[in-house]
Amino acid sequence: MTVTSADASDRTPIVDRQALADLLPVAVPAVPFGFVIGLAITESAMPAWVGWLTAPLVFAGAAQLAMITLAGSASVWAIITAVLVINTRHLMYSAALAPSFRQQPTWMRWFAPFLLVDQVFALASIQSHRSPLEFRRYYLTMAIALWLVWNTVVPLGMLIGPVVPEAWRLDYAPPIMFAGLTLFAVNKVPAGVAAIVGGFVSLMTVGLRDRLGIVVGAVVGVLAAALVEQAMANRATR
Amino acid sequence: MSLSAALLVLAVATLGTYFARSSLILLLADRTLPVGVERALTNVGPAVLAALTINLAVGSDGLGSIELAEGASILVASVVTVWKRSLIWTFVAGMATLWILSALT
Repeated sequence: MTVTSADASDRTPIVDRQALADLLPVAVPAVPFGFVIGLAITESAMPAWVGWLTAPLVFAGAAQLAMITLAGSASVWAIITAVLVINTRHLMYSAALAPSFRQQPTWMRWFAPFLLVDQVFALASIQSHRSPLEFRRYYLTMAIALWLVWNTVVPLGMLIGPVVPEAWRLDYAPPIMFAGLTLFAVNKVPAGVAAIVGGFVSLMTVGLRDRLGIVVGAVVGVLAAALVEQAMANRATR
Repeated sequence: MSLSAALLVLAVATLGTYFARSSLILLLADRTLPVGVERALTNVGPAVLAALTINLAVGSDGLGSIELAEGASILVASVVTVWKRSLIWTFVAGMATLWILSALT
């Protein structure tokens, strides 16, 4: 990944090639995940066209997968709660990128967050040295490109899904991908505590109706992590 | 799931996700969040993803219902994720383990 700071000018092309080059390594892993979501849509209790609309509208892999896989086995409000809880991390992204949007036009402030997924945040968060125009070109180039990739691979998964034999066990691909995403999200001790406690409590409460064990596990995991954060802060101040 | 219920979920998820992504850019661009709130938010992702992984992997029947191949696939996928730091490898290793052990058992 390379960070550049070329001067903006009237001759600057609309597409930022550096943004596309930077996007490639983080977009490639999204391809099999999008494909799995497409497959999951074909096996979901949710109407297929509604499941497909999650790709262009929600545009959030983990939340989409939760919606699609929980449909039919959980209540509407349990699904909505799970989706919103999963996407709570986007509040953090929004807070972290807010300074980069101070000099952006109003339309950019309203439109850009629609595309603010994990990969977009990861790349945009290291572009604060760019001028407002350069930042806008960079952000829109890579974010729109990723949106196009996502909205290509999800329908492909839906098309190929029905002809995939059950013996391939692709029904079990979602928990495998979620296990990977969980480990990607663990980058410090409290986050590890949140994951371990959240997973353990979810296991203990797996029998709860409407898969409420997910929400219970997540809440207890976050509380446990907060306690660890506090204990670490207290130890550091001694 | 009925069409109306699916559309309700889609609408709330779309608006809720956009709200989470846009609210602090639009409303708090010139301010900072309390440190405690920022710390708590960073831990929400791992907690909910782990809870979701376990819930989907085990199902509603509990730990006893999980097959050897399924448990091993999660374990191998996790190890490979830490090793390769790549979701492609996570997928390939997890599914390969599942297929091989399912065929053998």
